[in-house]
Amino acid sequence: MRQFFPVENLARDERFVQTNMAERMKDARTTVDVDAATAKSRASSNRLTPDRQDASDGARSLMHGIMVGEIQALEGAGRTAHDFAAGDGSGDTIPFELKLDMARQAWDEARHVEISAKLSDWMGTDLGEFAENTVLFEAACSNDPILRLAGVNRALEGLAIDVFTQMKEFGNLAGDPYLEFCEDWMLADEVTHVKMGSDWLRKVTANDPDRREKALEFQQVVDKLFSFGGARGETDESPIGLARRFRELAGFSDDEVNTISKMDSDALEERKDAIRAFHEQADAQPTPA
Amino acid sequence: MAAVSTAKVTVTPTQFHFVKYESQDIIDVVTELAELLGVANPIHVIIDETTPLSKLASEVDGVSSDAILTLRAESGALEDTKRFTHFSADAARGSLGRTLLRAKDRLRSDFADTPDDPELSLAENAAWDTYCAGRLERMGVKLNKQRWLYNYRNRFGFSDNCDAAFERLWSSDDLSWAKLTAGP
Repeated sequence: MRQFFPVENLARDERFVQTNMAERMKDARTTVDVDAATAKSRASSNRLTPDRQDASDGARSLMHGIMVGEIQALEGAGRTAHDFAAGDGSGDTIPFELKLDMARQAWDEARHVEISAKLSDWMGTDLGEFAENTVLFEAACSNDPILRLAGVNRALEGLAIDVFTQMKEFGNLAGDPYLEFCEDWMLADEVTHVKMGSDWLRKVTANDPDRREKALEFQQVVDKLFSFGGARGETDESPIGLARRFRELAGFSDDEVNTISKMDSDALEERKDAIRAFHEQADAQPTPA
Repeated sequence: MAAVSTAKVTVTPTQFHFVKYESQDIIDVVTELAELLGVANPIHVIIDETTPLSKLASEVDGVSSDAILTLRAESGALEDTKRFTHFSADAARGSLGRTLLRAKDRLRSDFADTPDDPELSLAENAAWDTYCAGRLERMGVKLNKQRWLYNYRNRFGFSDNCDAAFERLWSSDDLSWAKLTAGP
């Protein structure tokens, strides 16, 4: 069976249309206030809660994002279990027990895909109704298995903790029993997946500090990407919050969570700068007669 | 054979910078909807292209046959959800169809007490959206009923009683504002 599968070759049927972060960031529209002149035209909070006017559509869109994320997480964990030979963790090998953990994760993700597909149906969403951002699988394409652990298990699954916490709270506030229940169960699995990544990263790099540092740097790059231009953050300007408690349970230190929070905040400000520049460019264009 | 609408449709802005929309595409959809819904009033559509959100609103400046119907939409309401910033005629039909039906309702005397759209509660919005979406679907506009049921449940509760109230609104054709907002 083929190893190291490129993102372009992911198997999808005709319902799915894929996109990536570069395309996503080209969209200069925004839900956040970039200047005082637009302040009154925007909601006071962007946090995805049931009291938003577009709450159910926002939840449907996020739920679809979760579903395609679960498909890619399944594909990523499966690839890591298969792509590397069993060994002592040096070079291109991974411990056999790590392969077993990846196989277990793939099993969990397959169950999450089924749950998410059924939740999407419950919420009135067709599979493939929204664009599929492939950024999640892209983080699972590194040739170094330790970078995959950092990018997928720590950054990607860390994002999943934040998103599931947000959706569980949404279900609770809206009184949606299925949404709250399902998100709670999936959240428990995600905490385990992050913990597996944290533990294996420390174990495999115990005698290789350079490799560990490189992996943690890669995690920061992926974490910033997964902040989606500040869509995740600790202020109400971000639709998705940072789930500090569950991240702590998953093996993140306070310093690590603070670093992620700072990156989210920086990403939001960078996004605002980019949007301001686009507004200025649009304003400078001549108005048709 | 479809009736020919005499509605004059205008769109602001005429050129888009943030999204890949053509004002003529929007005029075509609204003209088609006006024919379908039997609306002859002049219609002005205002798109806020700076936000990807999808809030909608309608206003009427009178109740006569020449009163101007103003439809406001954030760009996400007309967007192809598979392709960011691209226009979707199907999405536009669903969104602007509901908004045009709301404007048409506002021309009726039994909607005279209806608050302006910004003053409507989330529950009033959900009830009216259900009523409009149900009528649109029966006229042949492609809609996902489960999406609207989920929206209604989020506002009124996840119970059999609320589902029955949703069905009544969805299948109704001639409600007053008072009946529409009577609740489950």
